[in-house]
Amino acid sequence: MTRYILKRILGMIVVVFLVLTIAFVIVRLAPGDPAALMLGPDATPQDAAELRARLGLDRPILVQYLTFIANAARGDLGSSIFFNQPVTQVLAGRAEPTIFLTLFSLMISLVIAAPIGIYAAYRRGSWLDQSAITVAMLAASIPSFWTGLMFQRYLATDLGWFPASGYGGPDAGFLDRMGYLVLPSIVLGIVNSALILRFTRASMLDILGEDYIRTARSKGMGEARVVLRHALKNAAIPIITVVGLTFALLVSGAVVTERVFNIPGMGNLVVGAVLRRDYPVIQGTLIVVATLYVIINLATDLLYLAVDKRVKY
Amino acid sequence: MKKTLVLRLPAIAALLAGTALAAPVAAQATLDVAIIGEADTFDPMRSTKDVVSIVTQHFVETLYTFDDSWAVAPLLATALPQISDDGLTYTIGIREGITFHDGSTMDSADVVASLNRWLEVATRGKGVADKVASVEATGPHEVTIVMSEPYAPLLSLLAFSNSAAAIYPEEIIADTIETVVGTGPYRIAEHVPDQYLQLVRFDEYVSRDEPSSGASGKREQLPDEIRFVPVPDPNTRVEGLLSGQFVFADGLPAESFGRLEESAAADPMLLKPFGWPIFAINHKEGLLTDKAIRLALQAALPIDDMLFAAFGDDNFFVVDGPLYPEGWSWRTDAGAELYNQNDQKAAAGMLEDAGYDGTPLRILTSRQYEFHFKMAEVAKQSLEAAGFTVEMDVVDWATLGQRRDDPALWDIYITHSPFLPEPALTSLYNPTSRLGWTQPEKDAILAEFTTETDEAKRMELFGDLQRMVFEDVGFIKIGGFNALMGTEKGLAGVPATPWPFFWNAKVE
Repeated sequence: MTRYILKRILGMIVVVFLVLTIAFVIVRLAPGDPAALMLGPDATPQDAAELRARLGLDRPILVQYLTFIANAARGDLGSSIFFNQPVTQVLAGRAEPTIFLTLFSLMISLVIAAPIGIYAAYRRGSWLDQSAITVAMLAASIPSFWTGLMFQRYLATDLGWFPASGYGGPDAGFLDRMGYLVLPSIVLGIVNSALILRFTRASMLDILGEDYIRTARSKGMGEARVVLRHALKNAAIPIITVVGLTFALLVSGAVVTERVFNIPGMGNLVVGAVLRRDYPVIQGTLIVVATLYVIINLATDLLYLAVDKRVKY
Repeated sequence: MKKTLVLRLPAIAALLAGTALAAPVAAQATLDVAIIGEADTFDPMRSTKDVVSIVTQHFVETLYTFDDSWAVAPLLATALPQISDDGLTYTIGIREGITFHDGSTMDSADVVASLNRWLEVATRGKGVADKVASVEATGPHEVTIVMSEPYAPLLSLLAFSNSAAAIYPEEIIADTIETVVGTGPYRIAEHVPDQYLQLVRFDEYVSRDEPSSGASGKREQLPDEIRFVPVPDPNTRVEGLLSGQFVFADGLPAESFGRLEESAAADPMLLKPFGWPIFAINHKEGLLTDKAIRLALQAALPIDDMLFAAFGDDNFFVVDGPLYPEGWSWRTDAGAELYNQNDQKAAAGMLEDAGYDGTPLRILTSRQYEFHFKMAEVAKQSLEAAGFTVEMDVVDWATLGQRRDDPALWDIYITHSPFLPEPALTSLYNPTSRLGWTQPEKDAILAEFTTETDEAKRMELFGDLQRMVFEDVGFIKIGGFNALMGTEKGLAGVPATPWPFFWNAKVE
């Protein structure tokens, strides 16, 4: 077990290093000049060249890369060109909204998807099953930005139930800030519930057709016990996998939702960084996301042990 | 800011629990203003971006500013300067008793240090630096600028909030200023990047006494706080305004005009006209270095269709050739008969006469400004009908910003500009600009225009310059367009300008 975890951590370092290198190369292959963008439309090419020199962007790519790797190994992801702050500080400032948005939306997804998915599988072919599949298809097909815009317009602007956007001003306390996340969490929760619902249903359908479920029923076991204790426990592995993946995707920044609701999280940060060609921030975000992704995958694999004693590493 | 049901929930819960919330009490009269993005810098010398001007003019001031008719008016200077008869010496009186946000008092040493930095680091300052012989303190509250040659736009440059000749304490002057210290009516209290910039009233501010007019005159500091909130998505700005989250929102999409008009919470504010879309032409190399081909290009463009496709509503554009709109002192019709010919047949003849060999005409544009792209799409159809081979290079704005600096990569790039109070504030006419437009007659007119100090003669020279824009096709003005902003109902004291300010704002 310990050996397995160490092996995975080693693999994780390799993955992060590869991501780091790919990120460095890709952002510099993309055309676009952060200096010209910062200086504005009337700046001359000479002004841009001077700023590039001040930012160190005129140094050879290999020198920039080696400096970047050496610094990253020490935990220094460089400084944001745009914010003129260390990237770690910029990312730390974006962590709170993204983490809570992820947790809230995942909770909402699970609250919606798990019971409906289980019940739809249990009542396979019923009107509820058909409706659940249709609604799940619909939720998965509608782009999240459209759902976001509609919810924003009708629930926030017209009805005034939620703040339309943002994350609060200087006088906003923690609960106020969380209030700003309710509507985006609902939007993201609905969108992601479709995937979890379909996986839960499919997984439960497989298990409910197994011989041991029939045996349990023939022994006179109650339906609730059969479904929730025997079937659900054995159907959990694929569900945990998809929940883990969803969590990893969300924590990497719900890009569109954060943009629509103007939440200053990781997703919004990375979109802005790409548009502004803020190379250190793009690289830093990718490293953090890749690391989180690998950690969440590892955690998901370890969780299998808890739900299924047959799993051995 | 209006509190929604969800934001009230913590308070309701606390009351139900019989406890009082210990949250800080918000100041009264706080204005939340949605802007299109984060300002890259709080040092307005270092940027020509409008969003930087909008924000920084509240805490940084210049010697001069513009009144509501875009005439130069004093701000930190006591009055307009005394200019010697030869137009070379500007003697500027500096106001006494002006305090910087760090508590120091402004004197001529601060002004000299600031102006010298402006000449060294600011795009617009560097543009005039070779004409400035010296900037010296000639008294504790007097500064003298000596020019090596007369330069009429100097005062406009000193007044402009964009690439601004901002006045800082001498002690903080450096190539890069980490913490900006100004004299403005508001000072920075807190900045959370991508979330808000909180400005609070500067209690030691000494306002001018003249009635407010544009950015000149009395600055009343009516709001206690102004919070600039960067909201990059235009629809989010609309919803924020309509839901009562913001009292003002900049840069709204034309499609939201109807909703704003019908809203009980907000009003549209139309800046009419705001600016002009421009086809910037590459005179340095490539196809359009041939004047005959430039003339064919100008003849073929279907201006009405391009503007309609770009803005979709007559409320938002005007088909208008002269480089300044109706009502502006610079307005002249010189050369404008060549505008909006929309004659592809004539253009085809011109191309034939020019011996056009089918070399592609490369239009560099971006979808980040959708109206740029739409204009290019419509232009492409007509240009092809006239016989041009057209290649569209559609990239994001960051890439465009880089590619346009390489004249080998484009023939036309599309941009836009607000109408600026002084023609010399735009670099388009200048042979050293990225367009590289140089032509002996035009260059002579431009040189005379910038050195002439008699206003009537300058107007006449500007007519000649505009005529050259059309006759030599220096660049192409596509038309005029309006900008839509929005205000909370009852918001007063915020004039419609490309660089709105809020020191006199109040909700009635």
